[in-house]
Amino acid sequence: MIRILASGARATIQDPGRFAHLRDGIPTSGPMDPFAFGAANALVGNALAAAALEIVGLPFSFVCEDRRLVVATGRDVALRGRDDIAGWTAAFARPGETYTVIGGAGARFAYLAISGGITAPPVLGSRAAYLPAGIGRALRVGDALPLGTARVDPDRAGVSLAPPDLGASVRTIPGPHLDRFDEDAVAAFFDAAFRVEAASDRMGTRLAGPPVTAKGGEILTSGIVAGAVQVPSGGAPIVLLADHQTTGGYPVIATVIAADLGRVAQRLPGEVLRFARVDRERALAALRADRELLAAIA
Amino acid sequence: MWEAERLGVAVPAYASVLLRFDPLALAPADAEREAMRLALSARAAPAGTPRLVEIPTTYDGPDLADTASRSGLSVPELVVAHAGREYRAFFLGFMPGFAYCGTLDVRIVAPRLERPRERVPAGSVAIADAQTGIYPLDSPGGWRLIGRTEVRCFDPERDPPVLIRAGDRVRFLAR
Repeated sequence: MIRILASGARATIQDPGRFAHLRDGIPTSGPMDPFAFGAANALVGNALAAAALEIVGLPFSFVCEDRRLVVATGRDVALRGRDDIAGWTAAFARPGETYTVIGGAGARFAYLAISGGITAPPVLGSRAAYLPAGIGRALRVGDALPLGTARVDPDRAGVSLAPPDLGASVRTIPGPHLDRFDEDAVAAFFDAAFRVEAASDRMGTRLAGPPVTAKGGEILTSGIVAGAVQVPSGGAPIVLLADHQTTGGYPVIATVIAADLGRVAQRLPGEVLRFARVDRERALAALRADRELLAAIA
Repeated sequence: MWEAERLGVAVPAYASVLLRFDPLALAPADAEREAMRLALSARAAPAGTPRLVEIPTTYDGPDLADTASRSGLSVPELVVAHAGREYRAFFLGFMPGFAYCGTLDVRIVAPRLERPRERVPAGSVAIADAQTGIYPLDSPGGWRLIGRTEVRCFDPERDPPVLIRAGDRVRFLAR
C-alpha cells in the first residue's frame, strides 16, 4: 500500500494502455512518455505492463507501508527523501517515511514506479486512467493504493539509467496521407520550427508555426495512431498522443516514431519542436534499442 | 480475422481498417503480407439479422428548427424523416461509445456547424452530413443537435461498455 500525502496537479494510474476496446471508440490512454514509464517499471524490477503513476504538477508526496523500491522518471525530476535521489535511479523506500517527487523548471510528465506495481482493479482490461470518460480519476490526498508483490529485493537500490535528451528534432515517417500535400508543403513542414501551444493536453500536442497546407479537405474518417501529425484546415498541426481519438478525419502529413513520442509529450508550451524524416528501418531500430535497454536492467 | 489470428487489434471505419501489431514481434513486411492474404480471402459478413437498438428520443434539440428550415421542412417533417428509417451503425470513433450511423434521408443532410459547441450534453441526438449519432459523454462537438435521449451509450462498468456496436441496426423512437 502507498498513501498519498500531496497529489500534485493531476496524478493518475497508468499502465501501457487499454488496447482491447479501440473499436468501441475507447482510446488507449497509457503514459504520455512511454519510454520514461517503461524505464520506471524496469528500474524497480517490475514487468513493463505493471501500473505506475503519471504526475503533472509536482511536488507529489507519498509514504509506503512496507519496504519497496521506488523511482521517479520523466523530464527534470528527482526524488526527495531523507536525502535527495536523482531521477531515473531506483531508491529504497523505508516504511513510514515520506518521499516526494520534485521537479525542476523543465518538468512536464513525471512517472513514479513502486516495486510490485499498483494493483488497483482494472477497468475494461487495463488500469490506465482515461479521465474524459470517467475511467479512473485524478488521485487525491489520503488515497491509498494497493501494491503487488515486489519481484526484487530492495537492496537493488542504486540501479539507474541516463535520462534521455529531448532531441533537437523528433523522428517521423512521412505520411500516410502524402497525396494530400504538395512536395513544397512537405518540404516546408520538415524545415519549420513549430512552437508548442499551451492548449496541448493528453490528447495531443498542438503546434503553432508556419501554416501547413493540405489539399482536398478532410479524409474519410479512419483509424489512427499515436504520433500521427494531423493537419486540420487551419494548418496548425496536432501530434496525437495517449488520449487521442480512435478515429480521425484530418490528413496526416507524418507520423512520429514510437521511440520519440515522449520527446513530443515532454516539451513545454513555448518550446520548439522540429520534425526529421526517417525510414521504417530506423524507426524499428530505435524502438528495438529502447526495449533492449529496458530488458537489460529489468 | 486479424484479431482472431492474434496478430493485433483491428479498428474498422467507413472504408478502411487499421491493423495494429507489435513490429518487433511481427516484421512489417510479414504484417503486410498477412493483411493482404486476409483481405484477399475476406468474404462479406455472414448473413443473419443484426441486433436492433432502439433509442427513445425527445426531439427538442437547439438546432432542430434551424436544421428543419434549411432543409425546407417543418419540424414535424424533419422528425418523421429522422425517426422514420432504420440506420446501420458503421463503426465507432470520436469518443467512447459514439457510433457513426447512417445514412440520413437526403432531405435532411446538413453540414456540421460552422462553430462547434464547447459543450454538447451527453445523450444529445445529432446529425452531420449524411450521418446521425448520439453523444455518449459531455464533450465539445460540431454536429447539429436535434434531440436527446436518456439511453446511456457508454458505461465503463457495463460489459460490453458500449450500447451500439458496429453492424447494429439503430432506430430512433420519437416521443
